Amino acid sequence: MAKQYDIIIRLLMVGDSGVGKTCMLCRFADDDISSTHVSTIGIDFKIKTLTIDGKKIRIQIWDTAGQERYETITKQYYRRAQGIVLVYDMKNEESFKNIQKWMKYISDFAPEDVELILVANKSDAYNSERKVSKEHGEMFAKEHRIPFYETSAYMDMNINEAFIMLARIVMKRHKKEIDKQMEHIRLFCREDSDAHIIEKQGKDNNGCCVLM
Amino acid sequence: MSAPGLNNDSKKNKRTFWKRNTEKVPGSIKPVYGAKHPPTEAVIQASLANTDQSKNRNKRPDSFADFDHSTSDAWDDAEDDLMLMGTRKLSIEETIESNNDELHNIANENSTNFQGAKSKNIDVPMSSSHHKAFQPPSSPVPSPNVGSMGGPGVGIRQTAVIEAPKPVTAIRIPNIPVPDRELSKLHKFGQILSGPITDLDELRKLSWSGIPKPVRPSAWKILLGYLPTNIDRRTLTLERKRSEYFSFIDQYFDTRHETIHRDTYRQIHIDIPRTNPLMPLFHQPKVHQIFERILYIWSIRHPASGYVQGMNDLVTPFFVVFLSEYVDDSGENLDIYDVNKLSDDILKCIEADSFWCMTKLLDGIQDNYTFAQPGIQLKVNALRELVQRIDGPLHSHLEKHNVEYLQFSFRWMNNLIMREIPLKCTIRLWDTYMSEGDGFANFHLYVCASLLVHWSDKIRRNRDFHSILLFLQNLPTKDWDNEQIGVLVAEAYRWKFMFADAPNHLNLIKK
Ligand SMILES: Nc1nc2c(ncn2[C@@H]2O[C@H](COP(=O)(O)OP(=O)(O)OP(=O)(O)O)[C@@H](O)[C@H]2O)c(=O)[nH]1
Ligand SMILES: [Mg+2]
Repeated sequence: MAKQYDIIIRLLMVGDSGVGKTCMLCRFADDDISSTHVSTIGIDFKIKTLTIDGKKIRIQIWDTAGQERYETITKQYYRRAQGIVLVYDMKNEESFKNIQKWMKYISDFAPEDVELILVANKSDAYNSERKVSKEHGEMFAKEHRIPFYETSAYMDMNINEAFIMLARIVMKRHKKEIDKQMEHIRLFCREDSDAHIIEKQGKDNNGCCVLM
Repeated sequence: MSAPGLNNDSKKNKRTFWKRNTEKVPGSIKPVYGAKHPPTEAVIQASLANTDQSKNRNKRPDSFADFDHSTSDAWDDAEDDLMLMGTRKLSIEETIESNNDELHNIANENSTNFQGAKSKNIDVPMSSSHHKAFQPPSSPVPSPNVGSMGGPGVGIRQTAVIEAPKPVTAIRIPNIPVPDRELSKLHKFGQILSGPITDLDELRKLSWSGIPKPVRPSAWKILLGYLPTNIDRRTLTLERKRSEYFSFIDQYFDTRHETIHRDTYRQIHIDIPRTNPLMPLFHQPKVHQIFERILYIWSIRHPASGYVQGMNDLVTPFFVVFLSEYVDDSGENLDIYDVNKLSDDILKCIEADSFWCMTKLLDGIQDNYTFAQPGIQLKVNALRELVQRIDGPLHSHLEKHNVEYLQFSFRWMNNLIMREIPLKCTIRLWDTYMSEGDGFANFHLYVCASLLVHWSDKIRRNRDFHSILLFLQNLPTKDWDNEQIGVLVAEAYRWKFMFADAPNHLNLIKK
């Protein structure tokens, strides 16, 4: 198997059901949202390879189901996330209010150094349909010192930007470990298979940015 | 099938069948002492394992027993939910009843509801013909031939309009050419279904390996316990249940905008457009409304679980199968069928029958959907244990690459692998599940094991976490047909036969 990546980072998407998490993810990972109009059951998973700042990055993204009944399952995935995309639907005020709830889960279940971004999806909506102003979203994000994006999965607006921003700040946060990891890969793992690297990382993941 | 002893036998079977539905804790996994209706091939294979299995016959797994204990309080029957509803500010004075209630009670109740319905403003279109059609019978035991809604589902296949019911005797055999074996199977079904009392055991035996399309609607309704085995009672039962369902709508559907129900309704509302999006059949305004009503009424009557995403998928097989009862399918592709071609009365029958059959199905797996979804967690664990035993190398491979069973099989349990196989395959699979008694809860586990092991080689060729999980979440089953399902259930039967009675098998070996 040819080696295709150097670093893996792990992102998670949370937000109310129907805000468009899956559509965003499919737009980002597959650049196609036509085949994805089904609700997420429990948890789903996608992977996208990117080059950021000259480093080849594999972004592993876990897409959760927004319905409350699934929370027992989805909460189990917070623990290993390095970055979380918080999504609400700008056409739905309730989903914006619920961002508080999702923040609470994050502080309860995610690692302390997890990085966040706030996303208001469906920016293709007509003005008359909009229920949450840009200012409101921005204010909330500022308060919590997290980046904010208005996106549209339909129109492919700001989707890549949002994900890449999160990937960047995750990489920054884990710079030390990533550099160490790169060095490790350079010295020892060049000839090894992907599986080997991942396995190694899984076995001694103290401080390593790649947790399997 | 027409043996003189039949009546007695079937009476006995009938009783046990009903018992079975009510006595068991819905959704619990219990040891199974071998299915009665395996494919012959599976019997042979399974008998090889017989000695192994008999040793452990009486052992009950601790986890299963614990689970059984922990859930039997939570889910005794649907009545619990109705009790709960009292605290939810719903007017339910008239609806607390069980499915086995006295006929005339229901009739009285319904007439009250219908009086009420006329004066209310309701979203459900209630044509005058509807009122006539669902008028409760004036005498408690009308002759089956006079019921205007009597046609489909009572053992005959009817394509004509409702006003012209056919005598309740024969199955209409389609003119399309079918292989001899199929034809003789169809005849057998015809005989069983149109006899005075359908022998349930016989029906299950026949259905296990797949039910021919023309008789599937009737067979499903009887297998699920929606229709009685006694042919004379079917027409009346259908009328009663259908009007009961519409009385629920009169009573509850207006509550959907109330604060406490808004979330439920909203969730249903956003899931319906996401139901089987590639099939135009499900994306017509009338069909959306039907699904909305079915799901909302079910949820509101079952507040302990309420609506859970995935339930929308579970309605689709019923809808398609019961639709097929009214559509001459030789020239129609149901996937793109325009329901406007059917009268409102017919659509109402399809809707009510789908509602009740989905209710029957969910009764057996309710703990999949209650808080923390204990049924699913338990089944995922059971799957892990099972696969460890039947395919050690695959299990080790998954463990080695840190793939957790929950990551891929949660959806298999929550949606009964409907997301993994084409709809027509689900329909075929359900033939077997319904023949298994508690197939949706129990046999499904073995089908999942069989599905996983089916791909063992492919999975093991993927040698990192990502590719394994991506493979498992996107199984290459798009082109699957009944044939593959046949293989799947045969294998599942084998695993069930070998391991259902011996869940401590592994522990015993270790000791
Ligand atoms: N107008 C508009 N609609 C969108 C956009 N993205 C998603 N949607 C619609 O929103 C609905 C829900 O989208 P999903 O991506 O399935 O929502 P989700 O957040 O994954 O929902 P769950 O899986 O239930 O948690 C779908 O019907 C989409 O068509 C967008 O950018 N603009
Ligand atoms: Mg989703």
